[in-house]
Amino acid sequence: MRSVSEYCTGVCTGFSAAWAIARKDILIYYAKPNIIVSGMLFPLFMFLAFALGRPADPATMVPGLIAITILFSSSSIEPVSIPLERRTKTFERLLSAPISLHMVVLGESMSGFLYACCIALVPLAAGMVLFQTSLPDLPALAAGILLLSFCFATMGTLFAAYPTESPGDIMSMLNLVRLPLIFVSGVFVPMGQVPFPGQIIAYLSPLTYGNDLVQAGFGKATLFHPAIDIAALCIAIGIFQSLANRLYHTFNE
Amino acid sequence: MHAIEAISLEKRFGTIQALAGISFSVEEGETFGFLGPNGAGKTTTIRILTGMTEPTGGSGRIFGRDVVQEKIPARREIGIVHETSNIYTDLSAWENLMFTARLYNVGKRERESRALDLLSVFGLSGRKDDKTKGFSKGMKRRLTIAMGLINNPRLLFLDEPTSGLDVQSNLIIRDVIRRLAGEGVTIFLTTHNIEEANILCDRVAIINRGRIAAIDTPERLKKTIQSVQSIEVAFDPPGAVRAEDLAGIDQVTGVRKMGDKIRLITGDPPAVIVGVTDYARRSGLRIISINTLGPSLEDVFIRLTGLDGEGGGGGP
Repeated sequence: MRSVSEYCTGVCTGFSAAWAIARKDILIYYAKPNIIVSGMLFPLFMFLAFALGRPADPATMVPGLIAITILFSSSSIEPVSIPLERRTKTFERLLSAPISLHMVVLGESMSGFLYACCIALVPLAAGMVLFQTSLPDLPALAAGILLLSFCFATMGTLFAAYPTESPGDIMSMLNLVRLPLIFVSGVFVPMGQVPFPGQIIAYLSPLTYGNDLVQAGFGKATLFHPAIDIAALCIAIGIFQSLANRLYHTFNE
Repeated sequence: MHAIEAISLEKRFGTIQALAGISFSVEEGETFGFLGPNGAGKTTTIRILTGMTEPTGGSGRIFGRDVVQEKIPARREIGIVHETSNIYTDLSAWENLMFTARLYNVGKRERESRALDLLSVFGLSGRKDDKTKGFSKGMKRRLTIAMGLINNPRLLFLDEPTSGLDVQSNLIIRDVIRRLAGEGVTIFLTTHNIEEANILCDRVAIINRGRIAAIDTPERLKKTIQSVQSIEVAFDPPGAVRAEDLAGIDQVTGVRKMGDKIRLITGDPPAVIVGVTDYARRSGLRIISINTLGPSLEDVFIRLTGLDGEGGGGGP
């Protein structure tokens, strides 16, 4: 039976190793061209596609832009880094290190999380400077950015569990999920205008709750109380983390 | 306490039995060679012992810790050098070492001092801050081994450490293995280079088709096939020699061309020497050198793995 101090030491060393993994990813992958295209340019073009030629004030679309920027940037690192590391066998280093699979998954997700948090500041700053948007509920906005980033970073790590050495394979599967979510999660199209089947999917989509929190941060009308949004995102993170842990274990056998 | 204990280890992938209940132990401080043809179960054994995959039967222990139940504490005691030089080529040699040290929770002062020592031992100090993308194959391999040693392990798993390397890297790596053995580090070495196992290992295990075919010291293993002796002879001119003529000499059971020399397998070397001298005289050839050789570890390997066509064949 492990003592409490042994357990605490184990947790601390696990987090320290997870941070080492995240740090390594930051050094290696943040400047890769496919990460920049997928994480920064793709959401910008999606925004322009929705905003141009529409009568709505672009300022009203800033929260949605922040949400999709987070969706794409947070889930772009691991689907590239993990298959590449499988190819070079460096991923075996992580799987054979004295840390649990949970910490490997956490470390991988942390790099996507930090990347998305930084990238989200770009549309936020642009909105404030160009459209003079105000932020009446800063805690809700902060919670929205942090939880949404972590949730989709973990989703990226989950998809990257698929045992392939080609980032393209994972990106294709991921886009099959990411792109429809933009249309049904109330990001640019109000939930009321989404067809009924889409609305059912929307209630299962973490993007709906994250976008709702960001909207709350900008003082816009919301679908749920922020506590519900936070709880839904925490549950989604837990599910993604557990599934990812199970899949990495299964595919590693 | 044993450094490694494998007790009836089994691994099944669907209908394929990769390991069929192998048992062995490695003592602390021992250099243990693990030989076998491709697909024999070497990598599966390493993956189980390092906790990367779970056995479907039996158990494994590292310094008394179960590799499934106490995976993380067991891994803290070991260093792993994978078959591929799996370094991060976008990072420098120093960054690679620091990253590995952080994974193993090595303190800042210790990891920096150890990294400097390892870079020096492996002849990489001058390239410390260079991205490893530009490193040669030998330099990458040396860095991989340095990364396996950054946590000062009591047990080092070395998977094909010198495969396909230049002479300089080979010498450095073998020298480091000897030095580690001298310091009491247990080494589990898998290699295709049988001569390497012969000169480095205290004991070797030969695995074939998921079963251990033999475990003993290299010299004792050689004694088990004393019937396989040979005469190695070089003629002048070498091109005029016909292998089928040599195979016809009394008591010769096999002929192998070894560069400019010919090896005649026999159970009676004196009789074959007489036959070879007669053959040379009759054919107008001059014998440049002639040596009697005992069985090599390679002969033992070939015999036990059935690669000579007498035994069970190669891997699955």
